[in-house]
Amino acid sequence: MKKLLYHLLPALLLSAMPAAALADTSVDSTTIVRFFQDGRTGSTKDFVAPATEFLTLDADKLGDGKLSVHLYGWGRVDLADKSFNNNTFDGSITYAYANYRFDQANAQIRAGRFFVNEGIVNEQVDGLSARTDLPLGFGISAFGGATVHTAHMANESTDGKGDGIIGGRLNYRYKGMLELGVSGVYESDAPHLTSPANIALENEGKFGSHRLVGGDVWFSPHRVFDIMGHTSYNTETKAVAEHSYLLNVRPISNLVLTGEFNEYHNRDMFFSSILFASMVDRLNERSRSIGGRASYEFNKFFELSGDYKHYTRDIGQADRFGGDARLTLLDKTVRAGLGYHYLRSGANFALFPAPNASGSFHEARVYAMHDTKGYFSAIDAIGYFFKQNINGRPSAWEVIGSLGYHITPALALSGDISYGQNPQFVDELKGLIRLTYNMNYASKGGSK
Amino acid sequence: MKRFTMMFPILALAGLLVTIAACAQMKTLPSLPASHPEELAAGRVSCAECHEDQQKGTMKPFANFNHTTAFVKNHRFYASSDDRLCATCHKQAFCSDCHTNQVEMKPSIKYGYRPDREMPHRGDFLTIHKIEGKVDPSSCYRCHGRANNARCIACHR
Repeated sequence: MKKLLYHLLPALLLSAMPAAALADTSVDSTTIVRFFQDGRTGSTKDFVAPATEFLTLDADKLGDGKLSVHLYGWGRVDLADKSFNNNTFDGSITYAYANYRFDQANAQIRAGRFFVNEGIVNEQVDGLSARTDLPLGFGISAFGGATVHTAHMANESTDGKGDGIIGGRLNYRYKGMLELGVSGVYESDAPHLTSPANIALENEGKFGSHRLVGGDVWFSPHRVFDIMGHTSYNTETKAVAEHSYLLNVRPISNLVLTGEFNEYHNRDMFFSSILFASMVDRLNERSRSIGGRASYEFNKFFELSGDYKHYTRDIGQADRFGGDARLTLLDKTVRAGLGYHYLRSGANFALFPAPNASGSFHEARVYAMHDTKGYFSAIDAIGYFFKQNINGRPSAWEVIGSLGYHITPALALSGDISYGQNPQFVDELKGLIRLTYNMNYASKGGSK
Repeated sequence: MKRFTMMFPILALAGLLVTIAACAQMKTLPSLPASHPEELAAGRVSCAECHEDQQKGTMKPFANFNHTTAFVKNHRFYASSDDRLCATCHKQAFCSDCHTNQVEMKPSIKYGYRPDREMPHRGDFLTIHKIEGKVDPSSCYRCHGRANNARCIACHR
């Protein structure tokens, strides 16, 4: 499969070139060569230098002007020792699809590999999808095809997904006040597992096929506030998997107040994931989080926000609170940010739960960046300061500096260097070189 | 059964007429533009700076989509029903920089020169995720749940 990808990616690109030359086209290429050395005891990797190419191609206005082709993928080759798994090469096509867009009713048809984000549905599919608005405020979308398989689970010859998938969403909109949606996804039967631990998951009703239905809502009786969210129901476990709702209030134009409520039923939510079903001990638990945020834009240059969230789980309760500030200056060429948060969590949230343990930590971050036509630079520092030492360390921090130069308006060469200390490494020094090419051949309209 | 056989052509005809009427009506329904007519400045945008009314395609006020910190933190709620509006300014790749199945490197490494994008898992998240995963495992599940990321599986067997 991997070999096929390496041949398929360039072949797709080459085949798209002639058509792309006639259309509004954008090409984004990022080549990153990283360098690092793992000096941990027992490490067999002396020097690692993976080179990764990320490629995005968007060709719009093909054919009668309504057809477009989109591709995004990456490939990696290790220039020195193997960087991660047993392969010297690796790669993936994230999406590759043709899209036909109609002039009316937001209608479109899509074919290939694509993502679906509709109501409660979040899937990656090899297949077909279609959507359109309908009269009287209705809208409909549907998709179907093959599931996109990922890495096999340890001790299994499967990723736990069925082979086929269908789904869609039906929605209704009433003026600018209300939107209601019902959506669902049906995946063919999950494969049977072979390792004893995973067989037990199946037998105990903790793992099975991926089948969900749900509803979503957006309601704004007055432009000052709106509420939106969704509830999903697992038809296999016959129970609600998730409630997730957000309230926005805008009492004045520069102030946004939000309130958020989430409730998750672990078994019903993680049912089709071997990884999570096997990892979370208390699958019958209801996790809940409730919180809020206030965000105020003093002017075009300065925004301040504060937030609080309370988590409730069977193993204990936790709170997170803090704030962020953002600064934008000199016609957006200088952007900076500052943030602080504290997670207060009990003994059971610690890395190694014990009566006197703590999972609490402070998080602080500051960054600044400057863009000009010639060069661009950024510095970013983030630190986690633990209430109790982890592996004998009181903190984990990292500073990343980045400097780049626009060789041409489309081509830029940049490099990052980072240094940090954390519970895994006494010193962690990393570097990379990045070559980016962002070309947009558009006849009109803004680049995306 | 005989009654159904008699009724079927009438029902089929009625259905056809409704479908034709609906299709004719659909030609009057507006579409969102394929792309924003003007190039936008770098950094976060405020839709309401230029647009005062409701968006035709979504019938929601533009002010809802101002890219405040609150919007960025909660963008999943908007993307699940209004991704067509997102697509007028953002390429699919913008979403896939973070939301993807098979990840080669942390997004914050790929975009080390764009700290303003607030890519997830900055710094030494390897240590922190052991706490965050217990505080809110569902937040991990949203991206990593069925992706079986090789780096997750390497330890979580």
